Amino acid sequence: MTQEKRGVSMSEKLERTQLYDWHKEHGDVIPFAGWEMPVRYSDIRDEHMAVRDGVGIFDTSHMSRFFVRGPQATEFLQRMTTNNVSKLEVNGGHYTTCLNEKGGIHDDLMLYRIGTDEYIWVTNAANGPKIKDHLMKHSKSFDVEVLDRSSEIAMIAVQGPKALGLLSKIARRDLSEYKRFTCNPVDIAGYDTYLCRTGYTGEDGAEVLVLNCPYTDEGKKRAIGFWEELLSQGTEFGIKPCGLGARDSTRLEAGLVLYGHELDENTSPIEARIPYAVKFKVEPHYIGFDTVKSHKEIGVKKTRIGFSMIERGIPREHYPILHNGQVIGETTSGGVSPILNNGIGLGYVPPDLLNTGDVIEIDIKGRHRKAKVIEWPFYDPQRYGATRTV
Amino acid sequence: MGSTEVKDGLYYSKEHEYAKVEGDVVIIGITDHAQNALHEITFVEISGVGTTLKAGDECGLVESMKASSDIFTPLSGEIVEVNVALEDAPEIVNEDCYGKGWMFKLKPSNLDAELPGLMDAEAYKAFIESE
Repeated sequence: MTQEKRGVSMSEKLERTQLYDWHKEHGDVIPFAGWEMPVRYSDIRDEHMAVRDGVGIFDTSHMSRFFVRGPQATEFLQRMTTNNVSKLEVNGGHYTTCLNEKGGIHDDLMLYRIGTDEYIWVTNAANGPKIKDHLMKHSKSFDVEVLDRSSEIAMIAVQGPKALGLLSKIARRDLSEYKRFTCNPVDIAGYDTYLCRTGYTGEDGAEVLVLNCPYTDEGKKRAIGFWEELLSQGTEFGIKPCGLGARDSTRLEAGLVLYGHELDENTSPIEARIPYAVKFKVEPHYIGFDTVKSHKEIGVKKTRIGFSMIERGIPREHYPILHNGQVIGETTSGGVSPILNNGIGLGYVPPDLLNTGDVIEIDIKGRHRKAKVIEWPFYDPQRYGATRTV
Repeated sequence: MGSTEVKDGLYYSKEHEYAKVEGDVVIIGITDHAQNALHEITFVEISGVGTTLKAGDECGLVESMKASSDIFTPLSGEIVEVNVALEDAPEIVNEDCYGKGWMFKLKPSNLDAELPGLMDAEAYKAFIESE
């Protein structure tokens, strides 16, 4: 048996979050995107179901957090990103992308407006250094300041139908007054935080920026203190600490894109089918504007699909996708959906070729297995996710 | 990782498969060390009955929640039985890899020559400690 190698080589210097000591004691820590992160604490499936049925917490402190402020902050960020920055209200947040000159995705991110001229840019761990350079370089032409505050703030995602119940209990007040996609400074049990009502699991919840958590003994103690407060107060909500395994399985089941898989420098947001991240009535035009506009108006060369296995097999990334015996594309993510108890995946195929319900084949290490094209989320949105009605 | 069980009387490969000789056939599966490393096995598929294999050939697939791994036969021969129980309940491999979680039975074609090339329990214990 040979297990496929993942992550980076151990000889590389790996970074640690403020919660590393806790992860090492309670979880299974692996190298990931230059960081030592927990892949699981118990079983990925159990952690996944805690997020769907109750609440799960994830350490996402490895993501980068850049603070952008100054009189030209809005203009600068509109040049850098594809969503409509001027439409973003103070204490609002939106999902957006940052493109290269060719209209390919340089980064995908959450942008929060915390003041008239102040924003927080939260991005992928792996893209942190690249985006820092990109922002520093372009900010020179604007009256703005870009501060990397990643190492002084811990970030914890609290996700699931009971996430707000748990946070409200700890804060001793009803936090559901803060609607989804807002970002507000909130005192939670004596911790100064930004409560961002967003997430990456498909569920309701929050991503909490815990301020004043530098990578010192005191800062680490503070971050672990907040984490343990969530865990001890969350017992009645079925809380579980969740690792990268459940982070990937929950985002995949929700059909959410992951940089390095569905998104890269050669893929546009139109091809990735994230149109809500892209606006055209914006000023100034962002980098990559013309290409994305032509993708929208004239067409694309590839498009993202979701699929669920009909025959036995678990898809993974980089498996060929076949239609009528011909290879038409490649998978970008795959795995098991604990809700469907079935193999699911995402991939790219030519546009206008397939419809929902069409049967394709996935080449799983030489075994051609039937799958069905389906729309995301892969779960029933009436029963799971932030849109659930039961 | 906790304690890893290595059973006496079995033969082991460097790819973490074990072989248990039982009369005319050899029962093959993955070791406790392997199932521990994979965790939460969600899928097992072995080549069909009647497949003829040379030692070291790829002959199946194990999927866990996190990764995909190939299975190799440690010995040459013909597959005479596949553990069909694993189709519906692959987690049996996590629960009882040396017992109910066996993967396939082989009618060996070159057993006497190939068996000395595998490790005994002592050697395998030393091997996983050194890995």
